[in-house]
Amino acid sequence: MREQTKINKVLIANRGEIAVRIIRACRDLGIPTVAIYSDADRAALHVRYADEAIHIGPSAPRDSYLRKDKIIAAARKTGADAIHPGYGFLAENAEFAQQVADEGLIFIGPSPSAIATMGDKHAARVAVRRYNVPLIPGSEAGLSDDDLMAAARKIGFPLVIKAVAGGGGKGMRAVHNEANFKEALATARREAESAFGNGDVYLEKLLVGARHIEFQILADTHGNTIHLGERECSIQRRHQKLVEEAPSVFVDDDLRQRMGQMAIAAAQSVNYVNAGTIECLVDEDKNFYFLEMNTRLQVEHPVTELVTGIDLVKEQIRIARGRRMGPTESFLQPKAWAIECRINAEDPYTNFMPSVGKINTLITPTGPGVRVDSGVYSGYEITPHYDSMIAKLICWGEDRGEAMLRMRRALEEYTIMGVKHNIPFHVNLLNSFSFIAGKIDTNFVEQRFSMDTYENAPTDEDLEAAAIAVTLYAHRKRQLATQVVQPGKRDTSNWKWYTRYERMNR
Amino acid sequence: MKYITTINDKTFEVDIDKDGGVTVNGESRAVDFLALGGTLYSLIMNDQSIAAVIDEQHGSYEVEIGGRMYEARVLDERSQLMLARTGGGMDDSGEVSIKSPMPGLIVAVVVEEGQEIEAGQTVVILESMKMQNELKAPRKGIVARIHVSAGQTVEQKKILVTIT
Repeated sequence: MREQTKINKVLIANRGEIAVRIIRACRDLGIPTVAIYSDADRAALHVRYADEAIHIGPSAPRDSYLRKDKIIAAARKTGADAIHPGYGFLAENAEFAQQVADEGLIFIGPSPSAIATMGDKHAARVAVRRYNVPLIPGSEAGLSDDDLMAAARKIGFPLVIKAVAGGGGKGMRAVHNEANFKEALATARREAESAFGNGDVYLEKLLVGARHIEFQILADTHGNTIHLGERECSIQRRHQKLVEEAPSVFVDDDLRQRMGQMAIAAAQSVNYVNAGTIECLVDEDKNFYFLEMNTRLQVEHPVTELVTGIDLVKEQIRIARGRRMGPTESFLQPKAWAIECRINAEDPYTNFMPSVGKINTLITPTGPGVRVDSGVYSGYEITPHYDSMIAKLICWGEDRGEAMLRMRRALEEYTIMGVKHNIPFHVNLLNSFSFIAGKIDTNFVEQRFSMDTYENAPTDEDLEAAAIAVTLYAHRKRQLATQVVQPGKRDTSNWKWYTRYERMNR
Repeated sequence: MKYITTINDKTFEVDIDKDGGVTVNGESRAVDFLALGGTLYSLIMNDQSIAAVIDEQHGSYEVEIGGRMYEARVLDERSQLMLARTGGGMDDSGEVSIKSPMPGLIVAVVVEEGQEIEAGQTVVILESMKMQNELKAPRKGIVARIHVSAGQTVEQKKILVTIT
């Protein structure tokens, strides 16, 4: 049992919506916060929300958000005694967690050894196997291209190439036949090298028609390890999750009970403490396999928060202080239904091409059952330095139907202009019969969904309304333009002109 | 004042008289159009309440109504005449350039000068926002010039490859 400590100030070693999310939890707890920012993020939302902000370098992540030394120096300078890593960047870097501990600071997350074991996909498989956790057939790590080719033939196609240091779909490639293997391997290695500085990959059998279902784990230093139920994350594209929901239509009480037990065992295999996620693949016959453990807060954590009523970030901080966590029993009965749509600056009409630029209009949905975790504001400029997720829209309801209808309403209210975004994708997805029926798997978006299928064309009345609005707009601008005095006749602004006029009439 | 307004691909003849009365293709409409500040507008037309966001970029417009985005073009009679005289429009001849849609790093140029390519064929792989994006040819043709090489960082709108 660890002694209780106090946390007086938290440094958030991240940016964007998750930094804002963590700052909010800290503020709820009355703990002052420190933001860090790169050159590109001087105007970012998280900088404004924090009590203190420290500049840590140029825009490229490797020169700023990945600089362990600068982040620890920022904590020293501001007197922060705890660091929350968020997700991505250094969140699953065991070396960083160790350095933080060596400095006498609190890392709000699991132990360095748990991160290291689960971060090494091969070591993770070895660790959980001892706890009878079912695994997908696959290869060892650290093999040469030729050995991987041989292993691939043994496992059989289709299979997936995965980066040993991977996460978030980087360095991951599905291969459906031997002919494409070499090229896919080269791409996966290249991506892994550039994203993680480690080009090592391994292979795993691809389960056809499988769903991605994950379990939220919470564990404290007092020996409690529980799960908070599942999240269904099968709506993905290129291994990037786009929509998540809790619970899953596919998981019945019995499956939840069995998978939950497995998830707890997997966490206990590395003496896990704090919040973490066990990712699984579940096939059509409800056989489930351990995929990996994410030793951090997940992007999609809000759906779990909404169906359990637990603030996961506050629990993380409580656990990091050595206190007993709030809930001590696993959640076998979800209270409601929640769905999250990731709002990305990507154009769904041109193969999800990322989009950069200034957001010139932002109208955020509000009202019953709607939560928005956002990292942007009207006037914010999206740069090419970081990933394209700018916000998360989360809706909940008594049941799945109500949650979906609210999501549809909220998406309609959501207006983002100036950059391309994927809201039209979400609108179409919510109109698709397969999604409504819950008949989804990890290949649904890429193989069976098209933007055209559910796109109902605007009516003539819709077009006419748009035509009238835009013509009136153009007409008024034109009228204004003709009223402007000729160039040179009056060179000062109208405001100056007005004040002079006022003075004359005093 | 008479305007030719194109929404997506449909054309409307919109006439706005001195008192602000509006007719569309000769039929009059009861219209109340109010600027709400910024890019936000409220249109009440024949008692229908419509919220619109209008964004003007280089003379063309984007209009958002009810979660739907429209591309719009508004021409007065004179500009309409000018456009008709100068031609306009595109065809399959002449050069097309593939430009960088955002700043990023060229990972690979997967075609060679002089190579014949199909519409939709990948030409350049550009890394930006932590993703590798495949830039594809808008039409078939021959690669005339390659302006960049792998490892190079490029700004937005930089011409990468020219196709004839």
